[in-house]
Amino acid sequence: MAFVENKWILAVLVMLCWALATSFMAGHYYFQYTDLSAKVKERIISANLGINYGNGSDIRWFNETKINAGSTLFDLTKLLSSVNYTGSLSGASINAIDSVPNSYPRWWVWWSHSSYGWTFGPVSCDRYIVGENETVLWYRQDISTYPPPQP
Amino acid sequence: MDNLTKLLRMNTVKIAIIVTFCALSIATNYALIGVSNVKVMDLIVFVGGFLFGAVIGSSIGMFSWLIYGAINPIGFHPQIWLATMLAETVYGLTGAVLRKALGSASLDGRRLRLSVLFATMGFLPTVLYDMATNVVYASVFQVPLVVAIFEGAPFTVLHEVANAAIFGVCSIPIITVLGKMVKGR
Repeated sequence: MAFVENKWILAVLVMLCWALATSFMAGHYYFQYTDLSAKVKERIISANLGINYGNGSDIRWFNETKINAGSTLFDLTKLLSSVNYTGSLSGASINAIDSVPNSYPRWWVWWSHSSYGWTFGPVSCDRYIVGENETVLWYRQDISTYPPPQP
Repeated sequence: MDNLTKLLRMNTVKIAIIVTFCALSIATNYALIGVSNVKVMDLIVFVGGFLFGAVIGSSIGMFSWLIYGAINPIGFHPQIWLATMLAETVYGLTGAVLRKALGSASLDGRRLRLSVLFATMGFLPTVLYDMATNVVYASVFQVPLVVAIFEGAPFTVLHEVANAAIFGVCSIPIITVLGKMVKGR
């Protein structure tokens, strides 16, 4: 009965049980993950999103964010920030991102970056499909002049 | 009483114990058929081994599976049936080994520590049991062993945790009561 008196032996036994259980579950989830990622391979893309609040604060960058191929800029933005928007026939109109609202003359607009430089977002964000490795910027920008200047 | 009579009587008692425990474990297994991997059978086999030794404990496990495995609503597969029959003996052996390790000490004191010890003794043999059955399952169904082990991990862990809880809570009261009954016989 001596080993029952030794609390460390009991502690080791309990820890051994715990280690075995967690190892089994870790292995299980690893297999689940590899299986799932093999199934959705090529369907997951990376994209970079920046948010410029236009209030002097730093631009927030979310680099190499994984999203499903076919996701819109609206999906990507909702994934990374809180979005207040109004839906209409012409698409979603952004009212505020991260509680920073539109306030004339500063309005939320978006830009896409390519080898040609920054391109002003031509359509509503929920009509724009984000591409592989694409960089997109939300900019709460002074739109008193149109088109507004490049970021 | 001559030696032959003594021997026959001893064997009759052993057989009666094995049969009673087998009946109990099979009945509880059928009763819990809807609760996957939570079974009282393992505890009964363990208690059998603890109180009556490795041979009786292992026999209870083997004979329980002999019947439960053959008349099983979930299905029957000869290799898996044999594997479970043999693997179930691990609980009887564990019970017997633990009895030896604890010596003749009473289970009345140190209840919490003993419960923890019994809980781990429910958990660890279950790991061996599940590994053994997974190996046979993998070989029968041509599944890679690693996949068989980890794909079924939630069921394995449920079995182990349930046994730890059942052994930890129920072992000492059952062993205490049955021990008194056996002594009083």
